[in-house]
Amino acid sequence: MDGAAPTPDGWLLDITESADGRSVVLWRKERSTGRVRRTAVEYRPPFLVDGPREELAGLARRLGQDPEVAGVERRVLAPSLFDRRARTVLSVTPARNPHRRALARSVDALGGFARFRLYDVDLTAPQLYHLGHGLYPFAPVAGRGADLTATEPAEAIDYVTPPLRVARLEVRIAGERRGRIPPPDGRIGSVRLGDVTLEGAEEDLLRALVDEVARSDPDAVLTQGGDAFDLPWLYRRAAACGLGPDVFRLGREEVPFRPSRRAYTFETYGQVRHRDAAWPLPGRFHIDRANSFLFDDADIAGLVDAARLSRLSLTTVVRQSPGTCFTAMEMAHALRLGAHVPWKKNRPETFRRGDQLVAADRGGAIFLPPVGVHDLVDEFDFASLYPSIMVRNNLSAETLECRCCPTSPIRAPGLGYRSCVRRVGLIPRTLAPLLARRMAYKAAMKRPGTPPEEVLRLKRRVKMLKWVLVTAFGYQGYRNARFGRIECHEAINAYARRLLADLVPLAEAAGYRVLHGIVDSLWLRPTDPARPPDPEAFAREMSARYDLPLGYEGRYRWILFLPATTHGLGVPNRYYGYYEHGEFKLRGIGARRHDTTVFVRRFEGEVLDLFRAARDADGVRERLPRALARADLFAERLAAGDWPRDELLVAHRLGQSPSEFVTFTDSVAAVRQLADAGVHRAAGELVRYVVLDRRSRSFRHRVRVAELLDGDEPYDAGAYLELLARSAETLLAPLGVDREDLLSRWGVAPPAERTPFRSPERAVQGVLEEP
Amino acid sequence: MGRTAPTYRQALEERMKRWDEFARLLTTPEERAAFETLRTGARRYAAQATYVGSPDLLESILLSVLLDLARRLPAEPAGRAAAR
Repeated sequence: MDGAAPTPDGWLLDITESADGRSVVLWRKERSTGRVRRTAVEYRPPFLVDGPREELAGLARRLGQDPEVAGVERRVLAPSLFDRRARTVLSVTPARNPHRRALARSVDALGGFARFRLYDVDLTAPQLYHLGHGLYPFAPVAGRGADLTATEPAEAIDYVTPPLRVARLEVRIAGERRGRIPPPDGRIGSVRLGDVTLEGAEEDLLRALVDEVARSDPDAVLTQGGDAFDLPWLYRRAAACGLGPDVFRLGREEVPFRPSRRAYTFETYGQVRHRDAAWPLPGRFHIDRANSFLFDDADIAGLVDAARLSRLSLTTVVRQSPGTCFTAMEMAHALRLGAHVPWKKNRPETFRRGDQLVAADRGGAIFLPPVGVHDLVDEFDFASLYPSIMVRNNLSAETLECRCCPTSPIRAPGLGYRSCVRRVGLIPRTLAPLLARRMAYKAAMKRPGTPPEEVLRLKRRVKMLKWVLVTAFGYQGYRNARFGRIECHEAINAYARRLLADLVPLAEAAGYRVLHGIVDSLWLRPTDPARPPDPEAFAREMSARYDLPLGYEGRYRWILFLPATTHGLGVPNRYYGYYEHGEFKLRGIGARRHDTTVFVRRFEGEVLDLFRAARDADGVRERLPRALARADLFAERLAAGDWPRDELLVAHRLGQSPSEFVTFTDSVAAVRQLADAGVHRAAGELVRYVVLDRRSRSFRHRVRVAELLDGDEPYDAGAYLELLARSAETLLAPLGVDREDLLSRWGVAPPAERTPFRSPERAVQGVLEEP
Repeated sequence: MGRTAPTYRQALEERMKRWDEFARLLTTPEERAAFETLRTGARRYAAQATYVGSPDLLESILLSVLLDLARRLPAEPAGRAAAR
């Protein structure tokens, strides 16, 4: 750094790949005019190939003749973070950036997928351009064209977000309600962009939209379902009206009408999810709230923070998981350390005996809570416990069990894995600034005089960081994480387990009894309710003792730990309670879930409202008869058959592709009803429907999907009374409420065990598909 | 998610399925209720058994069941508890 930083005269919004495949495009927003300037720079970053010397020589000759290769060069460097010895490697420059991976794959194939180790393959050209030029998304910059200098580091905590022009976009089909199934040739009847609503003949309307986009020139376009509907429909109708890419331009440069990434189905944490295709808007950001995991929690302030730190475009951050951001941050740190990013993880798990596996492969400590209503309960949580453990004990794949520290005093409890005391690992290097950042934001939020809109912005950044920090731990155990290592994952858990176990006697010594504990949280009750210990003092003492931040969350007026329906013991993560500071905490009950049917949510809301006024556990018990009276009232109205249908919509995420279903369930009926109307749903997508007759074997009569709902169809009251009874049982079981008692009280036969029904069509198809 | 060894809770539930076969031939409600007590006892201390991480599943199950039974015994006379 040389002396005073120059004064910024704009922001680098984004770097994108250009259509010619040989350059990147820099999008810079001018401070004075607010206009966005486009500069294309020729840029084709190489990837590295390491392998046996004689094979590299042969590979170099071969690649020298390949038209897909622009250049091959020998370089001497230490590519691996795990082995810092220098060696000769090949630096291969692809002729076109989009062919980078295909070229790498063929190189890998030439090495029999084993003899070559490739580096930096799956970093994109924009990502590498950022890292190689000291730039990052939303950097304040000085300079013109491609000659840009960031005037502050990406890690700056106190920074100004560029003033982004954000406009909502919403397309409506002529004569159709939004959310209904559009006819395949449905014409666009109106488009809303920001405050402007355009209507008229379709072609004129589309031309007017192009003009309006050019006039208002938004930096970010916000949609609800834009990847699935609004954008593809716009491009489709533009093509139908004979408007080509040269005329129908929604981005800041001309692009062909096709998705920039295709739709796909994936699995995460045991859930099958679906992601829609992404449609391009080059030079602008498209934020689809329906296709974004992070947007709701993090909002733009958090996303900008994540983009800065990860060097990923906002377009990528908004569509990807926090894990992708964390991996990109790790990559940035690895490159900064002079190492390169391995393409595939080349580190098999070391062999271990079965009993070692049983000892090592365990999660955090999780108690079984005592089922029932409790009062005077104090809750304590460690803030970012796992990342803090990683930083404090230097847990990182390349430094754990290092050769340089055979006598390291830092060892994982019970497992003995040694931590390095000479080098700070990549993970702690990546995490430490994130933890510091989160603390700084939290402190700034609490500082008196912080304007409310700033508090909101900080809150979003804190949320975003929380997600990134959470995945940092999970990625240690994920088999494909480049810098992950299962032993790290195990060590972190071992430290956390020991910590929670240590706290049990310490809490007792302080005058508490441990009621419940989950990994990084404790629920404690005073041994002598007349003389409760000072919770803040306890939190301070423990934080100091372990050098890990234990926070006091608050005291519950009352809390209910809920039982499992199967064996009646407590479930660690199912409870609800009300703090003295006037806030609910709800875990594992319907209100927490996105897919809970509205009428169930209403019922829960009424019960919670009723309990809100309870001062203690007895207060909750006293209110049980009134809660049951509410349930009866709901049951009566449901049975009458006039409950608003949209409040009866059941949402279900498809766990497998519709052709794989064997049993005929409500959701299978819904999928087939949609298919019959011409709409196909993939695994991981949602279906929403009202149950009309759960005993029907016909997909037409069993349910009615949301997209075809009229609002006056007769529904299956029995099915909904069961849902109501289940919800009442979930909330009130610790007070002795039982689902079957409720059902017989409402005159419904208790549900017979459901027998799986094999669809005959499926059986026939199975036969037909056999070769 | 890519876990090699089943968790203690999973291994316990797997073993419980075998116990169910045992219970099938119990003939009195009293025996069945007593059996249910054992099963609940085995599940009650899953957290503690997980913490130990013993390679011997049955050791952890029996320890849980025994502790559950022991805590139901009448309390020791005060003098003896104090002598410990």
